[in-house]
Amino acid sequence: MRSDRRAFLRGACAAGAIATGTLGIPLRASAQSPLDWQRVLREARGQQVYFNAWAGDEAVNRYIAWAAGEVRRLHGVTLTHVRVNDPGESVARVLAERQAGRNSGGSVDLLWINGENFAALRRENLLHGPWADDIPNARWIDREGNPTIVRDFTIPTEGYELAWGNSRFTFFYDSAAVTRPPIDPATLLAWIDANPGRFTYPQPPQFHGTSFLKQLLLAMHKQRAPFQQPVADNFAALTEPLWGWLDAAHPRLWRRGRVFPASGPAQRRLLSDGEVDWAMGFNSAEASRAIASGEFPSTIRSLRLAAGALSNSHFVAIPVNARARAAAMVVGNFLVSPAAQARKADERWWGDATVLAVERLPAAERARFAALKPGPATLPASGPVLDEPHPSWMIALEREWARRYRGG
Amino acid sequence: MSDVAPAVAVAGLALSDVQLSLGGQPLFAPLSASVAPGEVLSVTGPSGSGKSSLLAWACGVLAPPFAASGDLRLDGQSLLPLPTERRRLGILFQDALLFPHLSVGANVAFGLRAGSGSRAQRRRLVDDALASVGLAGFRERDPATLSGGERVRVALLRVLLAEPRAVLLDEPFSRLDAPLRESIRSLVFGRCRERGLPVLLVTHDAADVAAAGGRELALRSGADAR
Amino acid sequence: MSRLPQRAPRRLGAPLLLVGIGLLPVLAGLAATLGPATSSVAWSELLRTPGLGRSLGLSLGTGVVAALLSLLLAHGLLAVLATPRAIGRARALALPLIAMPHLALAIGVALVLAPSGLLLRLVSPWLTGFDQPPDWITIQDPLGLALIAGLVLKETPFLLLALSAALAQVPADRLMLQARTLGYGRLRAWLLCVAPPLQRQITLPFAAVVVFGISNVDVALALGPSTPPTFAMLLWEWFLDPDLTRRPLAAAGALLLMGLCVGVLALLWAGGHAGEHWRRASAASGWRAAGDAGLQRLLRGVGLAFALLGALALLALWLRSIAPAWRFPAIWPARPGFAAWREATALLGDALPVTAGLAALTTALAVALALAAAEALRDRPMQRAALAALLFVPLLVPQFSFLFGLQVLLVRLRLDGSWLAVVWSHLVYVLPYVFGVVAAARGALEPRWRDVALTLGATPSEAYWRVTLPLLARALLLAIAIGFSVSVAVYLPTLFAGAGRFATLATEAAATIAAGNLRAAAVAAATMASLPLAVLALAVLLSALLFRDRRDLPS
Repeated sequence: MRSDRRAFLRGACAAGAIATGTLGIPLRASAQSPLDWQRVLREARGQQVYFNAWAGDEAVNRYIAWAAGEVRRLHGVTLTHVRVNDPGESVARVLAERQAGRNSGGSVDLLWINGENFAALRRENLLHGPWADDIPNARWIDREGNPTIVRDFTIPTEGYELAWGNSRFTFFYDSAAVTRPPIDPATLLAWIDANPGRFTYPQPPQFHGTSFLKQLLLAMHKQRAPFQQPVADNFAALTEPLWGWLDAAHPRLWRRGRVFPASGPAQRRLLSDGEVDWAMGFNSAEASRAIASGEFPSTIRSLRLAAGALSNSHFVAIPVNARARAAAMVVGNFLVSPAAQARKADERWWGDATVLAVERLPAAERARFAALKPGPATLPASGPVLDEPHPSWMIALEREWARRYRGG
Repeated sequence: MSDVAPAVAVAGLALSDVQLSLGGQPLFAPLSASVAPGEVLSVTGPSGSGKSSLLAWACGVLAPPFAASGDLRLDGQSLLPLPTERRRLGILFQDALLFPHLSVGANVAFGLRAGSGSRAQRRRLVDDALASVGLAGFRERDPATLSGGERVRVALLRVLLAEPRAVLLDEPFSRLDAPLRESIRSLVFGRCRERGLPVLLVTHDAADVAAAGGRELALRSGADAR
Repeated sequence: MSRLPQRAPRRLGAPLLLVGIGLLPVLAGLAATLGPATSSVAWSELLRTPGLGRSLGLSLGTGVVAALLSLLLAHGLLAVLATPRAIGRARALALPLIAMPHLALAIGVALVLAPSGLLLRLVSPWLTGFDQPPDWITIQDPLGLALIAGLVLKETPFLLLALSAALAQVPADRLMLQARTLGYGRLRAWLLCVAPPLQRQITLPFAAVVVFGISNVDVALALGPSTPPTFAMLLWEWFLDPDLTRRPLAAAGALLLMGLCVGVLALLWAGGHAGEHWRRASAASGWRAAGDAGLQRLLRGVGLAFALLGALALLALWLRSIAPAWRFPAIWPARPGFAAWREATALLGDALPVTAGLAALTTALAVALALAAAEALRDRPMQRAALAALLFVPLLVPQFSFLFGLQVLLVRLRLDGSWLAVVWSHLVYVLPYVFGVVAAARGALEPRWRDVALTLGATPSEAYWRVTLPLLARALLLAIAIGFSVSVAVYLPTLFAGAGRFATLATEAAATIAAGNLRAAAVAAATMASLPLAVLALAVLLSALLFRDRRDLPS
């Protein structure tokens, strides 16, 4: 395991590198990997990186715009945010390019993905790598403390994607209406039953909706090992309690379960307008930020189920046919730098949990994180976590949900 | 009735063996005629006899599906090889067809040849021309606000300033009130005669023919010709 | 002797170019998209889709009902308004709604009709007693009624404009006078004498309305049901599924959707013929229906209701864009502020110039091409009508059915993400409208004006620039306004041809609404709606200024 001393040493070296703005003295990385970072930096200068990233949250867009300014200033790299509605669009694009035989000079240089999209691209051999463990700032990433960083929905990342942030499935509720917050599926169902029309969830296959299903499913089982394997003939038996719960809940949901909000943010608006008392997200700081902006009333709070929060990480990856591979790596390296991660964790900017092992960082960098002031609805990063099931569970859950509830 | 002259190299407008047809059907019997400078030849016929098409053909703007044969000469030179804009035939229609997007003055000036002096001189020319037909001060007017008689006068000025070598009249008086018709007729014929222009008038109004004072040529239908 | 035969070959260049620009992408894209649809596995999977029947029924039902209602309303309003002056005013009111992109309008309608929407806020709690929004299904209702309302609101003004443009070819005033002096009621006179020739003039725009209704994603996204969604929404989901094995399923679905559209159009065509028989039989009956005042009032009422809905939708969009929080039942948002607008300045700073640039470039090209083609066909009305019909074909093909294939082709040609590709994809949608307006105006232009200019010594090109073009000016300004608004609203083609790199107001609005960020969506939608409106206002102003003393200029 880590010793404080070694952490301090590595931290000191890196702090020097950060201070001189080179970030590129490959101490240990050079010994074990062929990545010549100086060469990467030289190659990257002047390149343009098209970063296909979900653009649904203005805070995220603003953060990416800030990062674009920084990488231009530090490394002469032009970062262009290609605003995407759904990561599937970018996967479709990379696939279309493969079909058209374009094996280089592709239109996507960097994408923001995780889970099923990563699994699909890996399966089709459409990702460049391994690279993510070899870039200089990879050394700060908390691989040991965050298993979701090395296994993305159970698929080993193996350096084909770079962890960017951590997510914990979180419920947002109005404490004025929910006086005794539920702690498990049963108590949640009891609340729904007592308060008809005031609960709902985003419609699967939108990922907040599917995540809600997975969160419930995992919280209903003590024995979670089967979910780490691809879905098999155990699906019906293991998901039986989930469908029972949903069958019981749907008639008491908002719109009697006939209409669902289109997405997590769409449900946030329902909460904001007073149509429901609940919303859900991957990040409790989201609620604090919404309170600060006036979007949420100040009575909104966050909660995670006692069994643990469904947890995953989100990543950036480089398609195999990327045009600006070097610059994409430079951008990735910047995104996991302590400065960039600290700003990302700042609720005034984004409030997304860091992937770095903060306690290993040099003191000056650590201070950035210590200075963060969490808002009233923000939960501590600690607490029990539930690992994402294998992606095949997600697809199976989505299809079964559609079969049961979407056919009308 | 008609004095058919062969087309020879003489001054004026000469038509020889002109025949228009529509879908292989001739509209009128082959037509030959000549118009001396200062003379008005009236071509008459019922509506649909091809009078207007004859003038369109003369100008070179006869649209399909009409077809034509025969020759048209001005002062001995055949006009048929020339594009419309180089034939220098002025034409007046029954509706004056003043350009609605231009003022009265700009309509008149449209006919001015390039190189007819400076901007001020051209403006002077237009003003004088307008004054000469009793339209002084009309330069900035919208043509839409003019009466029928005023419109014909503006159209006439526009044609004359373009310095045509012959003038074609397509029932230009038919839409005017009877009392006005008289004075406009004499204005148009008088101006053309002053300049020694051969004039080809098509009309179905006997009074037009009488006022023109020249010969009359009645179009015979194409069926008769066969 | 005629000048035409010798010049004909050169003059057909422009029309042929137009056909190529309009149809090539669609045909090539169709072929490439539908290739995978040959797999029988895909078809059997398609047939097993949960709720397939209801999805298809919803798509067809909402699309056809909305199109027919819009048509009825458009005819009815024209019949009731009757005088050219009133029709002109209705047209002026319709243009802003036409300029409003579908998605923006749909978001606005959702903000009005939702249980927490403007409508209920206006009467709550003083009338309804609600201090929480009621748990009613008003939008996204299972029958798609809200979707139909949204489509009717968007399509009626379009059909109204198309019909009022067609009025130039039909002596409606005299026909109506004739019929009404014979004792026929206004609506019946319209139905018997004016509607049939008018309808023949707008066959293609109406078909486009039907196909859009069946295959749209924009309006269904905001107003359509989701359990099940319309079939077009399902297709959209399949095409975006990271599970790539679903692509053949999507292709098979796209083929099915296209087949359905063709079938529906054929049925409507047959229905139109049957209706024509009925009309003739009915006309012989002598029934005059003189006392139709009640029906006229109803039509006026419905028209007014939709105008009000449109106005409220615009208001709701604007209010939402300045509202960080807007708890029910407040009519006015708490702590209104322009934070969303400030946040959006980066977005607008990027997307506005791209949107305006694309629209300006596309419109300029479309107008130039349309002018050249219309000039070439100036005395060939049959060919002009044929070209207009051909250019409409892309509007009769659901966008899905060719966009995915088109994307692959563009990638292969290395044109994806280029201005050329995006402008071309916009031209496909802008040309039919621009050519329609320009060609109709050119065809209606008195040919002797040009002849007069030539006899006065102007060369053909002088005659064109000094006479023909100025006389077309008003029609051109209208064409520019329409072309601009069409381009601003083009969403999916921008996404596909632009490799996602062209951030326009339409893609931003779609991205923000898909993410549920209604405030940002409202900003994008409000900007999106104002851009074509600004161009429209400018066009009207320019037209009034340039020709202020030119009463007889053709409009």
